[in-house]
Amino acid sequence: MTAPLLEIQNLHLEFKTFDGVAKVLAGVNLTMQRGDVLGLVGETGCGKSMTALSVPRLIPMPPGRITDGRVLFNGNDLLQKTPDDMQRFRARHLGMIFQDPTTNLNPLFTIREQLIDAVLYQRHDQQQVPGRWKGFLPSTRQLRWDANIRAIELMQLVGIPDGDKRLSDYPHQFSGGMRQRVLIAMALAGEPDLLIADEPTTALDVTIQAQILRLINGLVARLGLSVIIITHNLGVVAQTCQRVAVMYAGRVVEQAPMRELFKNPKHPYTQGLLKAVPTRHTERGALMGIDGSIPNLVHPPAGCRFHPRCPHVMESCRMAVPPTVQVGQQHTAECVLYGAGV
Amino acid sequence: MSDQPILEVRHLAKHFPVRGGLLNRQVSAFKVIEDVSFSVPRGKTLGLVGESGSGKTTIGKCLIRLVEPTAGEIIFDDTDLMALSPRELRRKRGDMQMIYQSPAASLNSRMTVGSIIGEALWLHEHLNGNAARDRVMELLHIVGLKEEHYYRYPHEFSGGQQQRIGIARALAVRPKLLVLDEPTSALDVSVQAQILNLLNDLQQEFSLTYLFISHDLGVVRYLCDQVALLYLGKIVEVADVKMIFDEPKHPYTQALISAIPEADPDDVREQIILSGDLSLHRPTRGCPFAPRCHAPKLDLCETDEPVLVDTGRGHQVACHLHPKEQIS
Repeated sequence: MTAPLLEIQNLHLEFKTFDGVAKVLAGVNLTMQRGDVLGLVGETGCGKSMTALSVPRLIPMPPGRITDGRVLFNGNDLLQKTPDDMQRFRARHLGMIFQDPTTNLNPLFTIREQLIDAVLYQRHDQQQVPGRWKGFLPSTRQLRWDANIRAIELMQLVGIPDGDKRLSDYPHQFSGGMRQRVLIAMALAGEPDLLIADEPTTALDVTIQAQILRLINGLVARLGLSVIIITHNLGVVAQTCQRVAVMYAGRVVEQAPMRELFKNPKHPYTQGLLKAVPTRHTERGALMGIDGSIPNLVHPPAGCRFHPRCPHVMESCRMAVPPTVQVGQQHTAECVLYGAGV
Repeated sequence: MSDQPILEVRHLAKHFPVRGGLLNRQVSAFKVIEDVSFSVPRGKTLGLVGESGSGKTTIGKCLIRLVEPTAGEIIFDDTDLMALSPRELRRKRGDMQMIYQSPAASLNSRMTVGSIIGEALWLHEHLNGNAARDRVMELLHIVGLKEEHYYRYPHEFSGGQQQRIGIARALAVRPKLLVLDEPTSALDVSVQAQILNLLNDLQQEFSLTYLFISHDLGVVRYLCDQVALLYLGKIVEVADVKMIFDEPKHPYTQALISAIPEADPDDVREQIILSGDLSLHRPTRGCPFAPRCHAPKLDLCETDEPVLVDTGRGHQVACHLHPKEQIS
């Protein structure tokens, strides 16, 4: 058993708001092996983006504040790094894709300039040499030339036809799906170990979504990437992920291999979520919603945060946070229904 | 006369003018929808499905004449809506209501829930005072909200509750037809399921007819009786929901259905991945879908535009691969 690539331990994150302190993450535990494709699912406001953003430390602080916990990447605690170290770390090890491909490209620059910027930035710290060796460094021109070649490679990698010609185009000349491909190319510029995709297909049509998911699957197989896919679409999870972590109101309530989670969901929230998605076998009128709505995080319910909506609620659920219980192989759920825990 | 369709649309078209040149004259027209015909039987749900830019919302807006169609007939409840004067149209609109995609944007943030729903009652039925209040309370109850919500403002509600307010407002005038424009796409799945079930119950209780506009085929499969698929402003396939999902005939429909990510890891199908994406500029000749089509191409595809033909049992397809002669 090798050391995990990413390990989030007991992460607590708070946001100061006018109504008080919102406890956005309350003890998130998450482990990820190298080469894993991990799906992070949950409804709006359950903290899935915040968990993922705490890895590259992109959460604005203030108003955010990490009160407890560790984020270990290859065994190094990212929360202890200085801002400079962090910047270097992001360039070398992380790639991110966001939901809306339009707002993440600068409309005033061509794709070439933006991609070259990304490539040069990744290579930036390799150019740090003592002053007297400066003369031996490749010229800026040479660097840009090399970066341009890399940019063309990247365009081919993400499947943009005529990549070398389209580099001279501006973002508005690309369609939504193509823009998302450009963003994936940028994220891959530094050959990252971990790719974080925050709702990568939510803004896209189904046919385009299928193209992008296939691309991500292909990249995982070809480059041996580890990926965190944040999504609220359980269908996307079933198509791409190997492991799934289900989040509710700032906690990971269930973690399992993908197939196991769909076949054998344990936590009542996961069960509810799966019943709420219409599949081809759902009879009309048989769809089940989860009653109520997500809790206010400034005053979260005591005990299990899901208890006000849970069909199996018991007295003990209102008192204390339920323990994490091993319910199967590599399958954990945070619920008192399955015993007292480990 | 129960099998008489409540809504019949014939040859509906909407062209938006493209202006340009020195005097900003109209230089061409952007054909958002072209020659769309369909009908909705009373008490049933027709799903209108297409990717973004296919014109599905424009059709919905044309139906209640929020957007003025360029050509075509809309026959609703034996009246041609296109022939009505504005005054008559306003009265007729009480029978057809629209529910929008973004619940927050469709509610006035400065009005209380009571006045939002009450306004509809005043405009259409001249109800005010206690009578209106009682009716609003009744409506709140119908859509699953509580009486104490009467004096609250829209921002105090969650997305699902806001959508319920929108539904209550639409129901206030006792409509016969609801045009639902992606009513659940802004909602989480658990809430989406609540709203879909509410819509289902309401349809049975008030014998409503729905025109359900959506890009989510999973939801359409769940809620609709019939489905019409749009591609670049034209209907490419119409059939009962079962037929569409079990034996889709048009290559576009096949691709769209295979692209739904099923929330079931054992549901492995051969996915048809369409090349390219929806370009708003349709080819001047031939089938508009031809550039992305994965089916074997005929010479006809490049030259002639297919028309919608009935291939039996009410299954209509616009594709050269399914000519009319094939009926067995």
